Amino acid sequence: MVRYLIKRLLLAVLTLWILATIVFVMVNLLPGNVGRQILGPFAPPSEVTKFNHAIGTDRPLISQYGHALKNLATLDFGTSYQFNKPVNDLVRPAMFRSGKLAVLALLITVPLGIVAGTIAARRRDKFADRFIVTTGLAASSTPEFVTAAIISWLFTIELRWGHVFADPPAGTSVIGQVRYLIFPAFALVIVYFGYIARMTRAGVIAAMESDYTRTAVMKGLSARKVMMKHVMRNALGPTISVVGVQVGYLFGGILGVELIFNYHGLGSVLQAAIGKHDLPVLQGAVLSIGVIYMLATLAADLLIAWLNPRVLAQVKR
Amino acid sequence: MNEPTIVPTPVPLTPAASTPPASITVSERKQARRENWKLIARRPGFVIGSVILFVWIVCAIGGDRITPNDPLHAGLVANNLKPGTTYNGVKLWLGSDTSGRDILSRIMAGARDVLSVAPPAAVLGVLGGTVFGLLMGYYRGILDQILSRIIEALLSLPTLLIGLLAVTVFGKSNTVVIIVVAVLFTPIVARTVRAAVLAESDLDYVTSARLRGESSGFIMFREILPNVSGPIIVELTVRIGYAVFTVATLSFLGAGPPPPSPDWGAQVSESYHIMSAGIWWPTIFPAIAIASLVIAVNLIADAVQSVFEA
Repeated sequence: MVRYLIKRLLLAVLTLWILATIVFVMVNLLPGNVGRQILGPFAPPSEVTKFNHAIGTDRPLISQYGHALKNLATLDFGTSYQFNKPVNDLVRPAMFRSGKLAVLALLITVPLGIVAGTIAARRRDKFADRFIVTTGLAASSTPEFVTAAIISWLFTIELRWGHVFADPPAGTSVIGQVRYLIFPAFALVIVYFGYIARMTRAGVIAAMESDYTRTAVMKGLSARKVMMKHVMRNALGPTISVVGVQVGYLFGGILGVELIFNYHGLGSVLQAAIGKHDLPVLQGAVLSIGVIYMLATLAADLLIAWLNPRVLAQVKR
Repeated sequence: MNEPTIVPTPVPLTPAASTPPASITVSERKQARRENWKLIARRPGFVIGSVILFVWIVCAIGGDRITPNDPLHAGLVANNLKPGTTYNGVKLWLGSDTSGRDILSRIMAGARDVLSVAPPAAVLGVLGGTVFGLLMGYYRGILDQILSRIIEALLSLPTLLIGLLAVTVFGKSNTVVIIVVAVLFTPIVARTVRAAVLAESDLDYVTSARLRGESSGFIMFREILPNVSGPIIVELTVRIGYAVFTVATLSFLGAGPPPPSPDWGAQVSESYHIMSAGIWWPTIFPAIAIASLVIAVNLIADAVQSVFEA
């Protein structure tokens, strides 16, 4: 287990390094002079030079690259061009707010997807299966902001069941916050439910067709015991890794949902940063999401290894 | 898919088939291909998807020649008129937007924006991915190891964020969006193609081509490629769906074509603020247009996939 953990950690670090390099190369391909772009065409050249020196873009690329890697290692992404504030002061609270929405969405999607996928697998090729697979496909192929717009219109504007503005006022209790966030979360649930259901379905079908399940049935175990102890334990591997991957995607799709519901998370921070060419903020947000993604996939892999010891045996070989 | 007729086909070298007349094997292959497409065309999902896609393609080609009104004409009618209103003799089936433009005309014209960006992006991405996948699967070794790690890193981020970063850095234009989406899709396709090539390259026909002294390029593109065309076609249809998804989201987040454009994502992004005031039609109709297009493409992709992977 320890060896497996070390191997996975090294892989995660390597991947983050490649990611940071890609982001660094992309940001430094930006044509022209950063100081000129931020300060505008009328700023005196001396000010532009001073600004460039202050943010370090006049140093040689290799030293900037070292600086970028150091920033990643310390999770400190420098200073925002537009607000002159540490990037972390902008990105971290936004991330926390987006995280709340993401966690709520995951808490609903994962159990729902697993239950629906299991039902689909057990009623394979019957109506329930076709219905779950087809609606899941249609829902997961629609962009999050489209689903969010339709849900917002239907439930918060026409039916008035929820809040058009999903920002809960300061000091709202946890339950109260859930009431504000339930419809934006619902939009995310609709999009991500399909993947999880499909993965679970495939896993359950494969496990139900296996020899060990047949043996378990033949030796007279109850259907319930067969499902819980034999089928699900083996079937959930792919589902868990999909959930791990989705945590990363969720942080992309969440942006559109937040904007539609006027929720101030990463979406609005990123949108402002794009409008103002605020590269440190963009960079910080992308790399922070990269770190979260790594942790999520790492956790998923460890959980799979714990559920299914065969994975560990494979690594040892 | 459209392989020229001279391809040496991988026929098992039994004495009877050792010198197969080219014409017979080719017509057999054509027949198999036709059977496949017949099977696909029989699926209801494919039919529904094709009809919707056809409507949008007609709109994209026709553009403002077939829209009932000028899609860019601001102040054509009063602002924010409800769907179904008639204003100065102009019938507004889907209402008017905040600038007094006809929403139906804008949605019809907007099909061109998304359809001229998403499919080329998907095709480019699949081409790039196929080349990398062939190289990695054929040569293996250190090249494959390095590229695999890089691909893993690229896949480890929401494509959307990298896309946003790239469009911010390189500027907003259709060409940039096409290239960015294509580059983002290349590693995903490469992984699929690599897996298919790995399975193929141990087969006898590859070994015999190698023993015949064929060049690596010939073996990769003339021998292996035709045999992995199934997964590549599936990947292409799936990627077109994701390309529509990505392009629409990028333009909603502000990385799409600039304001007067009738792009669907841009329409939603311009008008969702006023939804809370009860003016839902400028947001919801373009949103439904996007949903109908992605769902149509995915229904087609699903039908293609179920036949090719059966």
